Amino acid sequence: MTDDNATSSPRDTDESPTADAAYVCSDCSRAFHTADLRVLHRGVRHPNALDAAEQEAYREVYREEERAIRSFRIRALGVLVVLYFGLLFLYVVYAS
Amino acid sequence: MRREAPRWPTRVAGVATAAAVFVVGVALLARGVAASNAAVGLSDAAGDALAVPRWLYVATGGAAIGASALLAGFVTDRGFVAAIHRWRRDLGGGRVRRAASTAAGVVGVALVASVIYRGFVGPQVSTVNFAVVVTFAGGRAGLTMATYLVGNVWPAVNPLRALDRLPTRIVAYPDRLGRWPALAGILLLVWVETTTGVTSRPDVLATAVVAYAVVAVAGAILVGGDAWVRNADPIATAFRFYGRVAPLAWEGGRLTASIPGMRLVPDVDPDGNVAGRDEGGNAADRLVSGLDDVAIAVALVWELTFSGFVTTEQGAAAVRAVAAVGIPPVAIYATLFLGGFAVFYGAFLGAARVATHRIRTTRSPRSLAVAFAPSLLIVAAGYHLAHYFGFFLSLSPSLAAALASPLSAPANPTVFTLPAWVSALNIAFVLGGHLVAIWVAHSTAYRLFPSRLQAIRSQYPFVLVMIGYTAVSLWLISLPTASPAFLG
Repeated sequence: MTDDNATSSPRDTDESPTADAAYVCSDCSRAFHTADLRVLHRGVRHPNALDAAEQEAYREVYREEERAIRSFRIRALGVLVVLYFGLLFLYVVYAS
Repeated sequence: MRREAPRWPTRVAGVATAAAVFVVGVALLARGVAASNAAVGLSDAAGDALAVPRWLYVATGGAAIGASALLAGFVTDRGFVAAIHRWRRDLGGGRVRRAASTAAGVVGVALVASVIYRGFVGPQVSTVNFAVVVTFAGGRAGLTMATYLVGNVWPAVNPLRALDRLPTRIVAYPDRLGRWPALAGILLLVWVETTTGVTSRPDVLATAVVAYAVVAVAGAILVGGDAWVRNADPIATAFRFYGRVAPLAWEGGRLTASIPGMRLVPDVDPDGNVAGRDEGGNAADRLVSGLDDVAIAVALVWELTFSGFVTTEQGAAAVRAVAAVGIPPVAIYATLFLGGFAVFYGAFLGAARVATHRIRTTRSPRSLAVAFAPSLLIVAAGYHLAHYFGFFLSLSPSLAAALASPLSAPANPTVFTLPAWVSALNIAFVLGGHLVAIWVAHSTAYRLFPSRLQAIRSQYPFVLVMIGYTAVSLWLISLPTASPAFLG
């Protein structure tokens, strides 16, 4: 299949993560669990092999990913603020 | 990417479990050190009294790691991330290399010969003996620091480097063995350093050096010099792994500079495959290509934690307490050493497994562990600096005196007394190593996964393991030092 053949041994007891990965990249035979992941992979790794429809699909998935990343950033910022002020108050209480 | 409907009960349970574990862990540490805070105040050893409760100091360190991991997630520009770890500056060519290499080889042979000679012949007091001072302050501390801060010079300095040109080879090295013998060698060397008298008795040290040389020559004759150095020689392997952290290296015959630590991001070919061990020309560039290399990286982190633990008052007290029950001390140390290594290794592999299941990737947990193991080497470098920087600094006048007059022992070896702020530097080294490692892991994840959110989320289990390593390490370096129980 992919890189695992060079390093896996017959004793490898990891369950195969590719068992239900139905979306296969036509250029490198790597398998993915969702169509979006395959589109992203092809856009990043094989940009010259994309036709117009695939390019549009890639842009659409990329925009959705940007939205998800923005949401992650807001949540991460929230956690950072809580961490900062939490530690600040702990130090006020215990280090004064 | 289409988001799955959040499974609230599972996620709440997961977050609650993590929070509970965190709180219990901090509480355990707090209870455990309540007695030692008094000990810190009474002892006059290197550990100075903390101005804050120890649990708060450890929790802050862990929070710093977690916060940095979140901040790294803010960087999502693939081009920018790639530009940082691909940056190289070409510094020069091969003519200087041969001359410098020959000079380094001569220095290496002279030093090792002197170590053996003075170990047997010189005064049998460790602080004035050339062998002990040069091997531990110069080699274990100084040379290792130079290896990961500047570049790996061991292939030039190694007095046995002609081994790989030996024409004899009795058996072919079995590929299945991989680098497990090197791991065993590293663990054995650390065991010897901790439990035998090599650090305090020069003749034992000289014997150990001779024994190592004999084993190296025998191994090279048995399997071929090149296979021995690449797979089984523990010192060469440890230096090669540490050397990858350094900014300077010979690539393609030319000296190139990179941003420190960035050469650890593994090469990924255009299809997204992480190249394996047996593939032709690029195999030499791959530092970590199997679980044996992952174990070596974990061992380099663990051995510093272990030797840090047994040289603290609390560690010695714990060992004495267990020995009072009737278990022989050697068995206690062996269990601690191998058991702790198994815990660290298992935690790392467990993180890889959890990450694979959480982010819906088709890469196996094994390939994730192999891809993220190089970042552990930066952690090891940070821990090594934290444990040995003060040691090297305080012994540097002794080292200079020993190197200046190898054949006569100094009458009054001087050591530097370190100011209190050096211990703050140690904390900075531990945290700094983790921060750079977080960046390297972030870059690696971007090379592995097509979705940037997958890359960010793949880091969570590893960051939790790193927080665990940090907590243990910060706790250790804040404890007062003592000589280990029942040893040396």
